Amino acid sequence: MTAAFIFEQLINGLSQGSIFALFAIGYALIVGVVGMATLCHGEVIMIGGFMAFFTISLSWIPTNIIVMALICFIVPALVGIVIHIICYEKFLDSPRHISLVCTIGMSILLINLAQIVFGTQTQGVRTNQVIQPRSFEVFGVFIGMIEITIFIVVIVLCILLALFLNKTKYGVVLKAVSQNRKAAALMGVNVKRATMVGSLLGCGIAGIGGMLFALYYSSISPLIGPPVMIRAFSATVLGGMSDISMSALGGIVIGVMENFGIAFAGSAMRDIFAFMFLILVLLFLPEGLRLGGGRRRGR
Amino acid sequence: MEGDVKSRITKKSLKLSKRNLIIAVAVFILLLIMPQFLSAYLNGVAVRVMIYILLVASMNIVNGYTGQFTVGQMGFANVGAYVTAIMMTNYEISFWIAVVVSGLAASLMGALVSYPARKLSGLYLAAVTLGFSEILRVIALNWISVTGGAMGIAGIPVPEIFGFRLSTPLSTFYMVFAFIVIMLICNYCVISSKVGRAWISIRENEEAAKSLGINTYRYKSLGFIYGGFWAGIAGAVMAVFYRFIDSNMFSMADNFDVLAMMIIGGQGTLFGPIVGSTLVIGSLEAFRFTAAYRGIIFGGVIIFMMWVRPQGILGKSTKDGPIKMFYNKLVSRSKANRKGGTA
Repeated sequence: MTAAFIFEQLINGLSQGSIFALFAIGYALIVGVVGMATLCHGEVIMIGGFMAFFTISLSWIPTNIIVMALICFIVPALVGIVIHIICYEKFLDSPRHISLVCTIGMSILLINLAQIVFGTQTQGVRTNQVIQPRSFEVFGVFIGMIEITIFIVVIVLCILLALFLNKTKYGVVLKAVSQNRKAAALMGVNVKRATMVGSLLGCGIAGIGGMLFALYYSSISPLIGPPVMIRAFSATVLGGMSDISMSALGGIVIGVMENFGIAFAGSAMRDIFAFMFLILVLLFLPEGLRLGGGRRRGR
Repeated sequence: MEGDVKSRITKKSLKLSKRNLIIAVAVFILLLIMPQFLSAYLNGVAVRVMIYILLVASMNIVNGYTGQFTVGQMGFANVGAYVTAIMMTNYEISFWIAVVVSGLAASLMGALVSYPARKLSGLYLAAVTLGFSEILRVIALNWISVTGGAMGIAGIPVPEIFGFRLSTPLSTFYMVFAFIVIMLICNYCVISSKVGRAWISIRENEEAAKSLGINTYRYKSLGFIYGGFWAGIAGAVMAVFYRFIDSNMFSMADNFDVLAMMIIGGQGTLFGPIVGSTLVIGSLEAFRFTAAYRGIIFGGVIIFMMWVRPQGILGKSTKDGPIKMFYNKLVSRSKANRKGGTA
């Protein structure tokens, strides 16, 4: 157990955690702005991953990380609009569990549709064609180009999102809707459109997360949805639901925990480290990582 | 005032009217006769429907009556199934003892999960229960010396009663049917008892229930324990019906299926689980001929049900009828007038 090993695990955990952070940011946006929990987030991520696969394998699309990110944002965002219209829009004022069940149906539908459209087998994603397989040595630890790319993409995306939410008029509208939908409506906000933009953004960001996921693991299959969704969900719960920056932190924490868990206890248990950590945290901090006050939206 | 609330609760949500009782008896007799005329395949489908009824009803106890939001019922079924399978295959213990033990083991798990869960609500609670179910599944997958790991446990013996082997789907049908009847009677008694009224008061308003002196933590735990018992029995029945179990049968997707069935049937109703699971499994079986497109249709049916009847098939309508609406309008108008008069 050398320092280099621990550092290596930390880098792995951070790069995986940043991907989870993107999933969680998307999830928190949806929970915050739309006010609904979703169970088809994993399928949106899966579609993002498949878009990355298609950008690489189809020859007429230029294989460039920016083009790829655009495609991986737009297609899941369109799916997000469809999900919004089917699962959320009609039920904005109904009890939450109704739209939750709708998203269960949507998730079953999307998985099966993806199996028909994309095929049932796991597809290999040729990451090398987009990102050079180089690695740099820092303090005796090798950091690959892919990890650096992930960090850059996630950081750029977070900055863009922060700018959008804090500096533009529409971002403020989204925040207002997330804080109090009725008051926002009274101030003349078009709540229906704002919630739609919220789920569009959430799904688009999740799609880029899916792209990074596919590039990092060099593979994508229609069945990655549920386990990935669980991590997004746990990270969001850890962040106290609907709090975007805390959810991102939750995602990183879960990624790091998972990697250390695998390093020390073996990969057989990999699917449950997130949960074990989550249950432990909720035992002692029922509000998640958000220690301060603030209204809890998890009900 | 307490008496008023009591009578209202019992009257509105629990009382079996004479018409409903007649329908229930008729359906009961029909169900007793029906399997004799069905093929083994259809009886197998019926048994699967009934296993899901047990699961959905156990989830309905926690979600529908206590007003909590649990998703992890398959975890309890997992425990029940493995306890029964291990007891029957390794130690040759009779099914009738194993089924009770597995119910109690699942109750124990319910008590365990209720410890962190009783303080939480909403999605936090959903995350914890789902996580618990997944943790149990992964443990079952990796504890190879006891659970057989990914190979599962095969060759589970057939239950016997008075020397009669319950090996065909037909005989299993009657066995599960008996379990369901017992469960419905138990549920009815529990829900109309003090415990059930405490549950409903927690569902309606937890703070108010607390202020009336109801120990909400204890009653919530009781809900998990009682619900877990029947989920464990459902797992035991699964073990002897399929004669084979592995951890994949208790995955996250199954948890969500159970949740969907409960809400489609109507949560917080005694017969909602029956309608929900019959409809969902029935539609899955009916669309078997569409092969690859079956999942799409299944998802579509769930979404369609939520669009058409969001409160569930047996759930009470959230909208008031036309007469009630007219009355509400009158009352609000007269109130507004009175306010205007005094101002």
